[in-house]
Amino acid sequence: MLCAQVTSVNGTVDDLFVRFGADLFDLQSTADHTPTLWVDRGNLLEVLTHLKPRFPMLLDLFGIDERLRQHKPAAAADFTVVYHLFNLADREEIRIKVAVSDADSNVPTAVGVWANANWYERETWDMFGVQFSGHPNLRRILLPPTWEGHALRKEHPARATEMEPFSLSEEQQEQEQEALLFKPEEWGMARATEDTEFMFLNLGPNHPSVHGVFRIVLQLDGEVVVDAVPDIGYHHRGAEKMGERQTWHSYIPYTDRIDYLGGVMNNLAYVMTVEQMAGIVVPDRAKVIRIMLAELFRISSHLVFYGTFAQDVGQMSPVFYMFADRERLFGIIEAITGGRMHPAWFRIGGVAQDLPRGWERMVREFIDAMPARLDHYQIMAMDNSILKRRTVDIGSYTTAEALEWGITGASLRATGMDFDLRRDRPYGGYDQFEFEVPLGHKGDSYDRAVVRVEEIRQSLRIVRQCLDNMPEGAYKSDHHLTTPPPKERTLQDIETLIHHFLNVSWGPVIPPGEGSFPIEATKGINNYHLVSDGGTTSYRTRIRTPSFPALQQLPLISRGFMIPDLIAIIASIDFVMADVDR
Amino acid sequence: MMESLFYIAALVALVATVAALTRSNAAHALIYLIVSLLAVAVLFFLMGAPFAAALEILIYAGAIMVLFVFVIMMLNLGETGDIRERQWLRPRNWIVPGVMAALLLLELLLALRHAPTLTSGVAVAPKDVGLALFGPYVLAVEIASMLLLAGLVGAYHLGRRFIVRREGRSN
Amino acid sequence: MSELGTISFGLFIILAAVGGAAVLTWFERRLLGIWQDRYGPNRLGPFGILQVAADMLKLLTKDDWVPPFADRMVFIFAPTAIVVAMLLGFAVVPFGPDLYVLDINIGLLFFLGMTSLAVYSVLLAGLASNNKYALLGGLRSAAQMVSYEVFMGLSLMGVVMLTGSFSMRAIVEAQRDMWYCIPQILGLFTFMIAGIAESHRLPFDLPEAEHELTAGFHTEYSGMKFAMFMLGEYLGLILICCMITTLFFGGWLGPWLPPVVWFCLKVFALICFFVLLRAAIPRPRYDQLMSLGWKFMLPLTLLNLLLTGAIALALRG
Repeated sequence: MLCAQVTSVNGTVDDLFVRFGADLFDLQSTADHTPTLWVDRGNLLEVLTHLKPRFPMLLDLFGIDERLRQHKPAAAADFTVVYHLFNLADREEIRIKVAVSDADSNVPTAVGVWANANWYERETWDMFGVQFSGHPNLRRILLPPTWEGHALRKEHPARATEMEPFSLSEEQQEQEQEALLFKPEEWGMARATEDTEFMFLNLGPNHPSVHGVFRIVLQLDGEVVVDAVPDIGYHHRGAEKMGERQTWHSYIPYTDRIDYLGGVMNNLAYVMTVEQMAGIVVPDRAKVIRIMLAELFRISSHLVFYGTFAQDVGQMSPVFYMFADRERLFGIIEAITGGRMHPAWFRIGGVAQDLPRGWERMVREFIDAMPARLDHYQIMAMDNSILKRRTVDIGSYTTAEALEWGITGASLRATGMDFDLRRDRPYGGYDQFEFEVPLGHKGDSYDRAVVRVEEIRQSLRIVRQCLDNMPEGAYKSDHHLTTPPPKERTLQDIETLIHHFLNVSWGPVIPPGEGSFPIEATKGINNYHLVSDGGTTSYRTRIRTPSFPALQQLPLISRGFMIPDLIAIIASIDFVMADVDR
Repeated sequence: MMESLFYIAALVALVATVAALTRSNAAHALIYLIVSLLAVAVLFFLMGAPFAAALEILIYAGAIMVLFVFVIMMLNLGETGDIRERQWLRPRNWIVPGVMAALLLLELLLALRHAPTLTSGVAVAPKDVGLALFGPYVLAVEIASMLLLAGLVGAYHLGRRFIVRREGRSN
Repeated sequence: MSELGTISFGLFIILAAVGGAAVLTWFERRLLGIWQDRYGPNRLGPFGILQVAADMLKLLTKDDWVPPFADRMVFIFAPTAIVVAMLLGFAVVPFGPDLYVLDINIGLLFFLGMTSLAVYSVLLAGLASNNKYALLGGLRSAAQMVSYEVFMGLSLMGVVMLTGSFSMRAIVEAQRDMWYCIPQILGLFTFMIAGIAESHRLPFDLPEAEHELTAGFHTEYSGMKFAMFMLGEYLGLILICCMITTLFFGGWLGPWLPPVVWFCLKVFALICFFVLLRAAIPRPRYDQLMSLGWKFMLPLTLLNLLLTGAIALALRG
């Protein structure tokens, strides 16, 4: 694992070695072959700043509690902070890791290097108690301000049964109430200027247009938004913590509920990572089935976006049409998987069942009918002049800003950035499909919608190719870690019997190591970083979701607009609160 | 019948006006003022001037007072405003204006002592009002419109200065 | 009509209007359902019509609650204002040659006055609720109403010019040869838009815009007081449709059928049109609405006024 002498595999790493000297780094090998370098925290900022021009996007920043890890990398201490960088132009990734001890966990903040490090560092502090010196606003982000302890530390209990029964004394209640009191100064907002007294409006956590439980505190001058501060965490369910106690397989249903509009798309990101770590090869039929289901869910998610987008600018009808379409789609998904929104249908190594008889007819009917309906919606919603006037040039940002803030997916493509992981770094069989990557050019609310609408058509194209070219064969890999071997074979040899026994009683044991697998999910890049310590559960599950950075960027693009514009912006960035808060 | 209606409306107008003066809550005072204006409109109607009554409702009650309420909403007065108003409404502050108002009332009564009847008995149709305005009184109409135009330009000027300053600050 | 007859007819109109508004709540939902690929309320009674009764029962039996932070007197007064003003507006509507409560020579002005008073309901509700969303709704509504009232009145002056009277009956009688929707097409267009804005329905429902202001001026209202707002809104819709019928579509005029039936049919068709409009159009932004009013609609009504005046003078010789 420590291999500073090893000739590096990659130009970037070479460059770093030349610039800083190879002694500065520890190279760690990972299951995904992404160069992973350990750096001393004293050199961290210098290294990150050096990497910034090459890696304009900070894809993810998170912590790992290494204290109980058996197969610890040599350079690791108590806690690790991981910087996952992404270079979209060359589809290149790199991970920088910093080790800190529990007693002295100060890491210099990267906010000056990538703007979106702000929330990620807050989250890391919130979850692990790692300090980021120089951070402008190191407060809790997902957990309430009155929370005690840091939830993702290994000593923090994961289940209610490991804690005292819940009680709320009068004193505690008062404390909680006090913590809820809104003080503009704490949020970095002034109460007034010399000639204007501002009005503070609490938009959410329950508001018809914030798509879930999301709160934005608005500083208003009349109806003009002077400043907007998003407040998240109301939908936090500890999905990452749950990953540390569910078996590799039984965590799949939890992933469904991360981006709850994306259904099996979440499964895909998760199982791809696990398969990569275990070296499982998925049969062709399973690949195509997965792609078909994932694209159907992309359509479903985009339909919800389309409908609510029109609804949030005040158009009443489109959402009903689109939900009716989604209902037809759910009919198909129900026939195939048995579930609707959260089928939890993908498995490590394949899918849960083969496709049912007659699926071709259902899918064909749907994809034949959709284009005409989309044309209809185009006239009804997207071509409507009032809708255009409400959204064109509202909340726009440039490609550079999008990269700086970690915006991915359709919201990034709306700025004209021609990047789609499915095409540019094909995974799971996407290289076999023909489709186009729709682009916008202004990066405003309208373009974000246009790109998604066009993506529905492209997804229909992909589904049609799945339909016409569905390969025969197994729907699941034969690998012993994926499914219990067939009963007949267990009776023939002891090796299979042992695997059968272990798989059924424990669940699969994934070999130690770590890795991640970014995929192009419905809302942008979804990435599960998994750490296996050679057990039946994950040692650390990190979920990088596309919605989280999108909300962090919200103040930047909504300042100076009016409340209705803010609503249009919120509608256009297509987020799901469960995806933000996990 | 008509006469009793007249006195009822007059009483409503009086009471509402007094209430408008003495309420410490600005919103309540405005509502009384609106009621008073409506009562005056009824008086106009009963006195045979339906057009004037309609305009009283449309312009004064329906538009100008709306702007008053609008301003009150913008000011965000709340409790402190109430307390301040109550201080202003102390009796000793009322002596001088009260005496002056009483003198005016006396003068009015003296002047009206020889007023012939309550109404002329002839209803004035809207057409007649129009003919009068654009006939003998055309000069007055023109002067009034000039005045309004001047007010419009002045308001624009004041508002523009504020907008320019705000834009300057944000840049 | 005798004094007693007038009063009893007035009471009948009040009952009919309130009943009509109640049924309209159901009718609109059903109609929207048809246009939006769904059913709407269809469970209670034939075609779900008893939904009206169920809704009323629900609203009547709800706790009559006034928020502790609200200005109690104004809070209670506000919803009644809109209902009273709208009902009074019905007084000058001629439903047939002899079916009217009031025929005064300022009938049209009376209607305009009543709609302008209805603003207070929204405004005072926003002020009294002591809630920021309500306040924003109230502010929006004040600006919107004042702006749109300006050309609402002006858009009707063309009709007045052609008739030479403010009396509603005279206006209908003057349409025997030609409905005013043809010579006054601009007036009809502007009045319709002002009418929707006045009854604040989508696309001009900015004071309550649920996606922006949760429920705007009536955020804090529930139960009967909320029902009064709804009632006032639907009464406003019916009243505006009655007015458009009277002023532009020849009121009760029409062959074969009795006049009252013609009147009701025209009003019904207009209501359907308004519901369709609600289903189809998104909501403009507040400042876009204002600039539409002042920069487009107002010049248009003035142009209409100039043209109508010029033509009327030329025809008269």
